[in-house]
Amino acid sequence: MSVMTKRGRAGRAALNLFAAFGFLYLFLPIAFIVAFSFNDPQGKFNIVWSKFTLDNWKEPFSDRGLTDAFVTSLQIAAVSTLIATVLGSMIAIALSRYRFKGSAAYNFFLVLPLTTPEIVLGSSLATLFLGQSVVDFGFTTIVIAHAMFQVSFVALTVRARIRGFDWTLEQAAQDLGASPVRTFWKVTFPLILPGILAASLLAFALSLDDFIITFFNAGSTLTFPLQIFGAARVQLPPQINVLATVILVVTVAIMGTGSFMGERRRRRLGQTA
Amino acid sequence: MAAPVVSRVRNLTGSSSERIGLTGLVLVGVALLAVGARWVSGPIALVVLVLAALVVVGFITLAVLGSPETKRALSPYGLLKPGSLWLAIFYLAPLWTLLKISLSSKETRFAVFPTFSWEFSNYGKAFSDFGPQFTRAFLYAGIATALTILIGYPIAYVIAFRGGRFRNVLLGLVVIPFFTSYLIRTIAWTSILADSGPAVKVLDTLQLSGVLEFLNIMQDGKLINTPAAVIGGLTYNFLPFMILPIYVSLEKIDVRLVEAAQDLYSSASRAFRKVVVPLSIPGIFAGTLLTFIPAAGDFVNAQFLGNPNTTMIGNSIQDQFLRQNNYPVASAMSFVLMAIITVLVIIYSRFFGTEDLA
Amino acid sequence: MNAPKRGFSRRELLIRSGVVGAAGLSLPAILAACGGDDGGGGGADELFVENWPYYIDPTEDGATGTIDRFVAASGVKTTYSEAYNDNLEYFAKIQPLLGTGKTIDPDIIMPTQWMAGRLRKLGWLEKLPVDKVPNAKNLEDAFKNPPSDPTGEYSLPWQAGTAGIAYNIDVTGRELKSVADLFAPEFKGKIGMLTEMRDTIGLLLLGLGINPSTVTSFNDAAPAFEQLEKAKADGQIRAFTGNDYMDDLSLGNFAACVGWSGDILQLQADNPSARFVIPEEGGTLWWDTMVVPKGAKNTAAAAKFMDYVYDPVQAAQITAWVQYMSPVKGVREELAKIDPELADDPLLFPDDATRARLYAFADLSDDVEAEFEEAFSAITGA
Repeated sequence: MSVMTKRGRAGRAALNLFAAFGFLYLFLPIAFIVAFSFNDPQGKFNIVWSKFTLDNWKEPFSDRGLTDAFVTSLQIAAVSTLIATVLGSMIAIALSRYRFKGSAAYNFFLVLPLTTPEIVLGSSLATLFLGQSVVDFGFTTIVIAHAMFQVSFVALTVRARIRGFDWTLEQAAQDLGASPVRTFWKVTFPLILPGILAASLLAFALSLDDFIITFFNAGSTLTFPLQIFGAARVQLPPQINVLATVILVVTVAIMGTGSFMGERRRRRLGQTA
Repeated sequence: MAAPVVSRVRNLTGSSSERIGLTGLVLVGVALLAVGARWVSGPIALVVLVLAALVVVGFITLAVLGSPETKRALSPYGLLKPGSLWLAIFYLAPLWTLLKISLSSKETRFAVFPTFSWEFSNYGKAFSDFGPQFTRAFLYAGIATALTILIGYPIAYVIAFRGGRFRNVLLGLVVIPFFTSYLIRTIAWTSILADSGPAVKVLDTLQLSGVLEFLNIMQDGKLINTPAAVIGGLTYNFLPFMILPIYVSLEKIDVRLVEAAQDLYSSASRAFRKVVVPLSIPGIFAGTLLTFIPAAGDFVNAQFLGNPNTTMIGNSIQDQFLRQNNYPVASAMSFVLMAIITVLVIIYSRFFGTEDLA
Repeated sequence: MNAPKRGFSRRELLIRSGVVGAAGLSLPAILAACGGDDGGGGGADELFVENWPYYIDPTEDGATGTIDRFVAASGVKTTYSEAYNDNLEYFAKIQPLLGTGKTIDPDIIMPTQWMAGRLRKLGWLEKLPVDKVPNAKNLEDAFKNPPSDPTGEYSLPWQAGTAGIAYNIDVTGRELKSVADLFAPEFKGKIGMLTEMRDTIGLLLLGLGINPSTVTSFNDAAPAFEQLEKAKADGQIRAFTGNDYMDDLSLGNFAACVGWSGDILQLQADNPSARFVIPEEGGTLWWDTMVVPKGAKNTAAAAKFMDYVYDPVQAAQITAWVQYMSPVKGVREELAKIDPELADDPLLFPDDATRARLYAFADLSDDVEAEFEEAFSAITGA
């Protein structure tokens, strides 16, 4: 390393300070959300601090509309993530394992849904559903809409994750006499599973949080974000903050466990981090 | 009779199988697209679907009977089929129906299905009535993107080069706030920026209100319900989408390159400018796309943090679609938004050079 | 007209205890979700009611809400949903179904009278089973056979209200009396207006001396639109709101705004400096109506519900909580037994002089309505 000048050191410190403020900035609204889950709001909107209470946490599900919408969101996310994980992983495997005609064009095609503004995705799907009478706006259309953008997302994420995968392992297995199907299930799949799981977890989160696309395709069904949006015109109960905090904590826990277990696995397999 | 066919199938070479696989994939995709976009309907649609099914059956037969080489060549197409078909029906077909409806008009005010009539006036209306919303959307999204670069680059830099063992933790910290709902985060800003909230109180105490008022960041003593609040919201909500790609490209940079540069150039900042920045361009490029594009179409920030003079095109599309029932004009607006963004992205990529986005 | 101070109302206890209003009643809209028109069951034993939020007395603080009392009295299994947030938005949701001959889940929905008129003209409503609603005779004469429903066969009013000026006297520093006060320069950036076009434009028309009940074309109302457009461009208006104006008013974000009469009592409970006034030029009158969408399965149960809520005793309970004007005769007397102060409230039971200053917006033809709505949405910036 070159010798650090005084200016250099000051510059370093300034940069670190800036980054620290950056993190504070990122967490400021989160701090508010968590803090206000303990608020007893004066009016109907939980925006100004009034006084501390634990009641909201004692009765997090007291707002039936909110809770039901939350359950709906979970159900939708489960179904759409399942569809997207299967379809997306298949695409990812195809793209990374094989060299084939059209793969470059396909890559581009895959990225398209993610680079189209959500409002275009949402409104275009709505026009598709409008002109047919097979499916009514509701649970099914939301699942379809979510799975659509999740497929691209899962495909790209899994592909990035399994990039370093050593496909010659399959060759080795087959040399040892395993059939292609057995090879896949016993060798390939367990090794790429973490990548798939990570991608599907992220896709699940995306589905839970999706607002714009859902807004256009929900009909009368209410998902968690839709319920908040509708209710926000009338009332913002602190239970929203409670549920949001719960989602946050659970996600962090899952992420933490996931990376912790990944760390352990890596160490066990003798690989460096 | 079947024997020569079967043996021909078995003898298919890898590359011709590839061609067959690709053609099969494209054919079935187009078929489903046609049905979804309603290029064909009724009995013809049924025929198309049957044909597509036949192609799939043929594909599977080929895969089963063919030589290992054929199997290998065909497998990627097989794997790609389900996902691609899903996207064909639910991504491509809708774009087509969007286009179609944008050129339609409603026969009666409350008719459910607009009828196609080459109604280009919808586009005229989209521009003339909603011009300001388009402009504002791109302006706000542009400023927000620039701000995310200004704020996000240093953060990504610090994580990449100073993070050490804590890199993953720090990255996690960047991402965690975004596991709360998008709506709730934006609503939280209404709390923070409220007239009687902490931000305004702090500014008043520090006597900065006058300066901010001058800069038009505050308007009439308000921080919220201002354009600045909307831009601030956009910046905040899309910050991780800038930090992560920049981080990824910075992380790939070999530290020794940087050290060498610092030895060769007289100052660290020059080394930075000449070496690090150019190498991080792909990240900035990807980040810009991931930030600008969704921000331009957003309406949530403008709805909660803005005022009637700060509405963006997203608000208008949403209103026309879901309140005014004006599907034709709304679709035209949607399409124009996508078209403009595509043009901007093309120009932008020419400027920056396309890189692998994944 | 300033409403007198009140003590703790039931609603207030509700908010203070942090438990959301109709929590005990909001049964899942998820039932409405999975697959369009499978309502499930039918006949006289089930009912699905779709209403605006906070528009019925809930079960809380030891009192039984109207829905629960109805269920107990009639044995009808009732689903009550509060997803009716906005007339136009709800219309957009039901249009793909009712417009193509399908049915929607709710048996009773609660559009504002002008929207009921639109639904009626489109043929999307069932005639009310009035022979099964004997209490319909209790309908106040003022609401009989309105322009939106000339035969009175398709709608029964739920509650009525007026739009006027709600303001925060601490912020304004003085009493407001006229529509012109909304445009006072000292309130720049602190004025709110409603997204409900007929209330906002109606009030503005009155301020300009034009009678909103008699407008027939866009030109008649153009001056109001111009005035609104200018106010928005000048930054006079902070936001166009729905029900969310109340907190803004309490917090002082709005000095004054166009608001609804039924909200003021709730408002004052939160913040004693809130005031409501029907401007001297006049206020707008509106009412929300119970209608039965075409193809509804449980018309018999719907009739039972309507009959129940048109019983003055029950109606009084509803009015005691929502604090809007009841369209049912005899409510005032019943209310006097429960809440005498409320029974004398001029906002709930306006005297003739006040009545004369309330104007319902004219029933507009489709084309004209389209022009109005387009112009309005251009201004509200959406």
